[in-house]
Amino acid sequence: MTAQLIPDRPAPARRSSRAPRYAAAFLYDEPGPQAKRRHLIGSLVSCLVFAVVVALGLWQFASHGQLDPEKWAPFTDPAVWQYLFVGLLGTLEATAVVAVLGAALGVVLAFGRMSHRVWIRRLSGGYIEIARTVPVLLMIYLMLFGLPQIGINVPTLWKLAIPLTIANSAVFAEIIRAGVLSLPRGQREAALSLGLRSTQATRLVVLPQAVRNVTPSLVTQLVSLMKDTSLGFIVAFTELLYRGQVLATYLHLLIPTYIVVTFIYLVVNGSLSALAAHLQQRLHRTGSPIPRLPRLPALSGTSRKAS
Amino acid sequence: MFRTTRRKAAAGAVLAAAALALTACSSTTSLPGDENEADATAETNSVFADAPVASDDLILPGSTMEKIKERGTLIVAEALDAPLLSQQNPTDPDSVEGFDADLAKLLAIYILGEPNVEIVPPATETREAMLQNDTVDVVFNTYTITPERAEQVSFAGPYFESGLAVAVKSDNDEIKGIDDLDGKEVIVGANTPAVTAVPEQVPTANVTAFATDPAAVQALLQGRGEAYVQDYTLLASNAANDPSLKVVGTPFTKEPYGIGLKHDDAEFKSFINDWLLAIQESGHWAEAWKTTLGTVTDSDVPTAPEIGSVPGS
Amino acid sequence: MNPLIDNLGLVLEALGTTLLMAVVAGVGSIVLGVLVTVARVSPIRALRVAAFGYVQFFINVPLLALLLLAVFALPDAGLMLPLTPTAIIVLIVYEAAYVAEAVRSGVNTVAVGQLEASRALGLTLAQSLRLVVLPQALRAVVQPIGNVMIALAMNTALAAAVGVVELTAAVNKINLVAAQPILIFSSAGVIYMGIALAIGLAAGRVERKVAIVR
Repeated sequence: MTAQLIPDRPAPARRSSRAPRYAAAFLYDEPGPQAKRRHLIGSLVSCLVFAVVVALGLWQFASHGQLDPEKWAPFTDPAVWQYLFVGLLGTLEATAVVAVLGAALGVVLAFGRMSHRVWIRRLSGGYIEIARTVPVLLMIYLMLFGLPQIGINVPTLWKLAIPLTIANSAVFAEIIRAGVLSLPRGQREAALSLGLRSTQATRLVVLPQAVRNVTPSLVTQLVSLMKDTSLGFIVAFTELLYRGQVLATYLHLLIPTYIVVTFIYLVVNGSLSALAAHLQQRLHRTGSPIPRLPRLPALSGTSRKAS
Repeated sequence: MFRTTRRKAAAGAVLAAAALALTACSSTTSLPGDENEADATAETNSVFADAPVASDDLILPGSTMEKIKERGTLIVAEALDAPLLSQQNPTDPDSVEGFDADLAKLLAIYILGEPNVEIVPPATETREAMLQNDTVDVVFNTYTITPERAEQVSFAGPYFESGLAVAVKSDNDEIKGIDDLDGKEVIVGANTPAVTAVPEQVPTANVTAFATDPAAVQALLQGRGEAYVQDYTLLASNAANDPSLKVVGTPFTKEPYGIGLKHDDAEFKSFINDWLLAIQESGHWAEAWKTTLGTVTDSDVPTAPEIGSVPGS
Repeated sequence: MNPLIDNLGLVLEALGTTLLMAVVAGVGSIVLGVLVTVARVSPIRALRVAAFGYVQFFINVPLLALLLLAVFALPDAGLMLPLTPTAIIVLIVYEAAYVAEAVRSGVNTVAVGQLEASRALGLTLAQSLRLVVLPQALRAVVQPIGNVMIALAMNTALAAAVGVVELTAAVNKINLVAAQPILIFSSAGVIYMGIALAIGLAAGRVERKVAIVR
């Protein structure tokens, strides 16, 4: 049984027949009439509390004039949205570049860290540890100041993308390694016993399953990467948050501008998360060419490390 | 996410730094009058009409000027979010407006005959590096001339002199100037001269730095501080825009703004100083001031500061 | 001479603020993150949805935008706190979403049999969460939570943008006078690296200590 106690997204109210009605239905019995009533009251009370808090906030907000139409009027101008949209394109461009490079490098590093050769393992491990503990900001400054001093000057996008790739490849590597470690060892052994070469076993058997197991972490990291591209303002890269900043000074409107920018991030990143969750659900449903084996009882990753 | 800094007063833009125009890195601003800028206002045109152009014998062989002329664009480090000084217009991202921006275009006209300017927005801490590694030709960024900075870059000018002033909420009648800030909560822009100037003038003031100018204004209006110390012109612009704050007293410091150049480029420095004199004489300097900074004050066109009058210039 | 050493008092004071924010926000976000995870397995649907929405919101919005909104928009919504506490609260609620995601993946590693066994023993929901699920889940995610804590320590730098005088704000201020960005920011980077290293080592120790040896 490979049930996720907490799924990536809440189950819709109507669920297909066999699935448990509650996300964590293993934790408690199907509620009886009394429990159902209690849950209903709980739901109503929570909803009421949320609604009251939101309403109070909005009311206060309005009483401070923040909801005045003239504070929001500039955002009815398509040119303003176009301006922000160009910034968003920059954000997406940087995200895509770093995601591709970081994931590729991350896979190499992950397997490097699990290599049989000691020096490869040390090298990968050292890189991962350093890259994860140096603030990206510092690396950006080093790109900005250090490289030109030794005669190298790279295009603006790369001043942002290289430090982000360095940092994110280390994170991707750790996520992928966790995925590989979570696989039963038998998967690889079976692949080898079928006559696959070691690289084939990795490519065809281990990696696809490992990646699928850690898809939620990868998506979380991707979204976090997209937010980190707002560091682009340091290297003079056009992205969403910076354009929001320029807009705020131009309009002399701080709060509405940042609410709008926050909203754009929320919509874009939220759709990305939703898309990924959808893809993953489909993967779960259709399954891979290799039938899923029962998971080892409990913490395979931890127990292996401890042994 | 991150934070940062922009320098001076102007805009305080912290987050700022970067950005550019439509594509990755930079935007070429074009002059009103270009075919793609048909809607430029007559007012802006007057700043550039008959602007001085250097004669060919001033473009010395092998000099920085010649390099720029061959390239056909002047690459300038200037802000995009400094109202009245260098502010990108979000509804027309190709147009960057303000005093610094206009002077940069005038310099481009002087060298190239046309206002071809490519803007690279700097962060405060990257300006020296940008000059040192030839990312930009000049810095127009409310760059206060100081002897410390002059060890790393050269300054032409000063081309403008401003100073720090005090703004308070309109209903505050208690604070009349910098001397009334004893023991008060004072807001400043991060990476502006006010960060060090306020403690020097009023050691008992409690200083809080905000990254951007709009943030600092908001903080003042919300009562996170009783006064906001910032460049006078910027405060005047804020007060003109929002009647709930006002500027009190007169500027209490002198901030000579210089044009940042690569260190020890003596030819280029004297070339730019000659240009400054030329636009002052021709009235273009005054015209640029009137259409930008001059729109928010009642005072007459100020006298341009004397070239080389400041330590470090 | 390193300008940071010339201004040692300011740097140390700012480092203290950074560490204070990191520690308070770290503890707070772990507590809040676990509570959010608990809400995600609650039988009350509204709580589950709210917890999900909470995590999605904070994971999808940049911290800097949140800090700016909290400092400048919340006062207009009737909530005005001094700057450092505001920054700490924002860090708590922001990083709690990441902690909640980490703990969730830990909960998902707990074998279903464990839960069935705990129910068979007659434990209540609260008991099985407290005694069976969370202990195992948390043990499995010590490293991921350590990573969240490292990110949190780095993220305290953003508080500089809203006026908190922490390490980054202080070195910025020093650089404004000294104008030696490479030296100054590299030194500051090494300090952050040291903080991250300390968190990483601590996480490693904790992980070894609490690992379940089977």
